[in-house]
Amino acid sequence: MSTEAVSGTTGTLLVVDDDADMQRLLSLWLRAEGHTVRAVSGAAEALTQVCIARPDLVITDLRMEGMDGMALASRLLADAPSLPVIMLSGDAAIPDALAATRLGAAAFLTKPPTRQALLTEVARQLERSQAGASMSGSFGAAFIHRSSTITALLEEAALLARGDISIMISGATGTGKEVLARAIHAGSPRKEKPFIGINCGAIPEQLLESELFGHEKGAFTGAATRHEGLFVAADGGTLFLDEIGDMPVSLQVKLLRVLQDLEVRPVGAVRGTPIDVRVISATHQDLEQLMLVGEFREDLYYRLNGVSLHIPALAERREDIPPLTGWFLSRHAARTRTSLKRFDADALELLVSASWPGNARQLANVVEQCATLAREERIPLAVTQRALRGHAGQIQTLKEARDAFDRQYLVSVMRLANGNVATAARLAGRNRTEFYKLLEQHRIEAAQFRSDLGP
Amino acid sequence: MNVAPGTHRTPILVEVERELAELIPGFLANRVNDVASLRALVSRNDLQSICRIAHSMKGSGGGYGFDAITRLGGEMEQAARSGDTTKVLALTDELEDFLVRVRPVFP
Repeated sequence: MSTEAVSGTTGTLLVVDDDADMQRLLSLWLRAEGHTVRAVSGAAEALTQVCIARPDLVITDLRMEGMDGMALASRLLADAPSLPVIMLSGDAAIPDALAATRLGAAAFLTKPPTRQALLTEVARQLERSQAGASMSGSFGAAFIHRSSTITALLEEAALLARGDISIMISGATGTGKEVLARAIHAGSPRKEKPFIGINCGAIPEQLLESELFGHEKGAFTGAATRHEGLFVAADGGTLFLDEIGDMPVSLQVKLLRVLQDLEVRPVGAVRGTPIDVRVISATHQDLEQLMLVGEFREDLYYRLNGVSLHIPALAERREDIPPLTGWFLSRHAARTRTSLKRFDADALELLVSASWPGNARQLANVVEQCATLAREERIPLAVTQRALRGHAGQIQTLKEARDAFDRQYLVSVMRLANGNVATAARLAGRNRTEFYKLLEQHRIEAAQFRSDLGP
Repeated sequence: MNVAPGTHRTPILVEVERELAELIPGFLANRVNDVASLRALVSRNDLQSICRIAHSMKGSGGGYGFDAITRLGGEMEQAARSGDTTKVLALTDELEDFLVRVRPVFP
């Protein structure tokens, strides 16, 4: 991609239209802006050109003989998930525009497009993907996305990566907290040194302690050999503490001391070992809430949370589902050495509209399962439906969902009422006794919501 | 077409982008071909092919600066969809008349 000062970002563009006059017109407009243009008259040729010419952007007509623009978009999604597609349609039908966007089309323009509208959109898409590419050394490529929220998050993470500040990543299970932590490490000056991750919630307390800090031979029953511990193993690199909210309070004290002293003392050791480790921690829990109930130390929280990054749930950024799906499909094909499969348009739409309580990890599982089960190159709707149903276990039960809603609701009402239960009860349309009971049931304390500014 | 361009009909002046100058004659010649194709298709009652030509006209006309072609294409697509070949023929006549009278001017 060359950059020209006058016309902004230029690139190699692929124009797909079965009308020769339209091809010529679009090509002329685009070439006048300094772009390199290839024009083809069908989707099949377009797919070939994508491999040969490696365009930066595809502009395709929606209705064409044979494979139409919609099918082309869904195919490109699997073959080249990061390639932006601008769809042109003779009808400004909203369902088409919606379907196109769901299939990963970056933009939808009505035919005949004005020169200005087309060039503006092309410039916008090229700038966007170039911004993504310049970051992609570690970030854009590591964290597949199309949503602007994730782009913004990655931009921030890329900046933070260069420094040494401790980072806390929050986000629901399966949103990609470890993926982000790895990307930060890979984009940091520590990238040549180890990245070591541990799930603090999955290991019993004593084991976690010696895993983290190490132990001397004979330090406790069963300690037959000396173990250096992850802090030492990660020296010079990054230590990723996942599910930090599950760490027992007693260990939190020890962790805090290590972070303060920059020195780790293995269990049973007399002297400490100096360490140089950047800590990235992650949690799906509300640590501020845990601090309020005394389950998480405030001093540790501030030590770990130099800056916080939040990864939104997949359902809050559905535009990321098509490129993620495409990426999981390519990964499956590479791992299993099978030909690349792709979802039928209606199957992909189902994926885009599903609820995904298990986020990207659940999507990965469903896509894997579909790719394994589909006998042909195309994954039909029926197979996708079955795979999604099979993952119903990850969907919350009605009670869990209701409880979660109640809790959320009670907290917001209490916040509004500044912790005044009578006011909150009135807002919620319940009597005080009933309301107190609800608070108790969800272990919500009124005092937590009382600020000095409150009534 | 049996009427020599502009001999006894009022010309329609249409402003088009100078950069498109080279493409305009080819584009208009293709529409002249469309007129012949459309009449043949009406006689065969091939509504689907009529739809396709009309849809293309609708999509490209305005881009070249000929909004009238986009409008005619749109109306013709509608007419073909509802099976109204009389309307298609009338619109084809209108297209022919436009093609005879149109004079691209470059600002």
